[in-house]
Amino acid sequence: MKDEVIPPHVPLRPPDEVMRLARMGSMFPTRLSFLRSMIRRLARENAQITRPVWNMDEGGFGHAVYSLRFGGHEYSLVAISTDLPPELRTDRVIATAWDSAYVLYDGVPDANEIARIVAAAPKQEAARFSERDLVLSRANKSVRLFAHVVQALQDGQQPDEKMIRDVGYLMRTTAVYGNGKFGIADRALIADRPGLEGPFAAEMLTVWLIRHFTHDLVEHVGGGQLAPHIKRHLGIGNSTGLGMAPFLVTHPVLLNNWMMARETALARVRAIETLTKAQQDRLADLSHRAAKHLAEWDVPDPSHQARIVTLRADWQSILSDLKFDGTRPLDKAMEQAARYSFDVQELMAALVIEPFAELVDGLCDCMADPQGPFCPPLSDTEALRAAIRDHFNWALVPDYDAETGCGQFWYVSEAKQEPRLGLRFSEPGAELESPLDIGRQIKALNAALPEQSQPVSAFLAAFPQHAMAVDRVQLGAVHPYAEIRDNLIATSCLPIDMLRCKLSFFGASKFDPKSDRWTRITLCQGAPLADELNAAADDWWLPVFAP
Amino acid sequence: MIGSANEVMNLAAKAARGGGAPVAQAYAFGRAAACHLIANRPAADLSAALDALPKGPILDLPLLLMACAEARQNEAEIPAGPLPDLTLSYAQSQSFACTATRSGSQITLSQTFDQPAAQLPVKRVTLPDALAARMQTLAAGLLVPETEASRRAGAGAGLTDND
Repeated sequence: MKDEVIPPHVPLRPPDEVMRLARMGSMFPTRLSFLRSMIRRLARENAQITRPVWNMDEGGFGHAVYSLRFGGHEYSLVAISTDLPPELRTDRVIATAWDSAYVLYDGVPDANEIARIVAAAPKQEAARFSERDLVLSRANKSVRLFAHVVQALQDGQQPDEKMIRDVGYLMRTTAVYGNGKFGIADRALIADRPGLEGPFAAEMLTVWLIRHFTHDLVEHVGGGQLAPHIKRHLGIGNSTGLGMAPFLVTHPVLLNNWMMARETALARVRAIETLTKAQQDRLADLSHRAAKHLAEWDVPDPSHQARIVTLRADWQSILSDLKFDGTRPLDKAMEQAARYSFDVQELMAALVIEPFAELVDGLCDCMADPQGPFCPPLSDTEALRAAIRDHFNWALVPDYDAETGCGQFWYVSEAKQEPRLGLRFSEPGAELESPLDIGRQIKALNAALPEQSQPVSAFLAAFPQHAMAVDRVQLGAVHPYAEIRDNLIATSCLPIDMLRCKLSFFGASKFDPKSDRWTRITLCQGAPLADELNAAADDWWLPVFAP
Repeated sequence: MIGSANEVMNLAAKAARGGGAPVAQAYAFGRAAACHLIANRPAADLSAALDALPKGPILDLPLLLMACAEARQNEAEIPAGPLPDLTLSYAQSQSFACTATRSGSQITLSQTFDQPAAQLPVKRVTLPDALAARMQTLAAGLLVPETEASRRAGAGAGLTDND
């Protein structure tokens, strides 16, 4: 057995500090993000993308198949491009038609399988899929940019670089479904395959291949070649709403593992005693890249734009004082950042992790959830009470009876069976509330615990409604980062913070919130192209245009 | 309906919730239901369990198994009960490793509390259409019509999507 030496680390930031919505809503992608680790793996394997099928008309409508061998298995993206009338184009989840639809297929599909997917994929949720279909997705064009790029290429020119920078993608996905939805394969079927063990690995592979398809499509319609630096900056957009938010609550072990990996990475780099000159120079370069990235990040929403403007100024301010020499320089950098906003602190956390692949990349292997919600059961109510005292004090503080303490409720919509958030005192449906009120449930459990200890089973026989809270307490006792330590039904709860946390783990950048409930983002911007999967392929943290 | 295990598990869980089971018990039923169908056990057991809500095996079986776990006995015997196959499915869908075998009116459990249950992937699960329809009806009881305010605030709302 190989001896593993655990690198030194400072104490991890405590969950009470990390697991707050306002901080989670300030997170940036890191080298642990799933897209980064996926592309590192593709590069390590020197994955070769082929395009065995390209059946497109002049207007770019038809279908294509991309195949690759990865981790000892063949996978294919089947992409279908449809002529969508403008009046049908919407990013809303209620949409029934899209510019393009995709399936990540297990293997290389034959003509029959391609025909099946070409017929089914454009229907998305209205169709049924097979266990060979691993991921289902769809995307709409940024018509403005797509049309501009086509015109430029047809004119023998390159597209306007400012427009490329401002939009950043040719298409944006509006859903990327995995894990058994609509009959596609369960994640358990592929979870132990090399390269797909990580969270959302199949989905990330799909997104990267979709981006590749969008480049091919625009070049096909435009009849020209995009310059590599322009192509590299064209990522894939995404519109994400409340449908994604409950995932962090319903997958507490996964959330714990993601946050634990990230905090461990940070604690390891903070423990580095001194940096080499090369490491100092690298950090300086990256900190300036971050400044440039912030300068290129503009959003229409005035309040979020104001936040970005403040972050730009604060980042410049902290950079003027930042030195990476001396002892424990990265610990000092984090201490300096602590005097600024959460935005600065979390950007600094992402920065200091970035150059230290050898210290942190192995943590990517700890971010999945192969054991599910496994934890030792607590035997009696006294043990439950102690666990609540030690790990759930945050849940006991809010007044959940106050109007502001329970002003919102989560529910599942009748129209598309998607999570939604309602106003408890002005909208109907609170009696059908989804159980995302973890804090309230823990507080209620704590209040119901008997004076005299008794077996948990006996307690639940009398109070079955507290079983979920019991489960969460048991999990929380061994998974410290499993819970968002805020009141998710408070009037002040902003779901956008949950979205940003999750999307940063995906590797998203250029958050463009459209309200406190949904955001557009860009994925894969700056990521290597299919013919750039080499040793230098991993250097795209906070990408900037033509660096 | 032939679908994924995850689909069947979630549908069964939502059906149990819609039928009046508390959340944790509903999700335990979902896991047990998937296990039950994968093992080709009678779908009628699942219907019977749903029919018995808000009481019955969906509330009782988790407690029975929890009591065994609390006793920390690696080997234990429990009554097979009126739905012995469903009891087996519950035992085999716990989060820790547990094998269960039936002998007459008793089920013998062999439990390893410090070892997670092995997750055995399956390609497809068959859920009889009548049961699927019943589950969907029960699950639909949890759905809430969207308000206009919700529609206005949802993803993609308020923008020209052709930009």
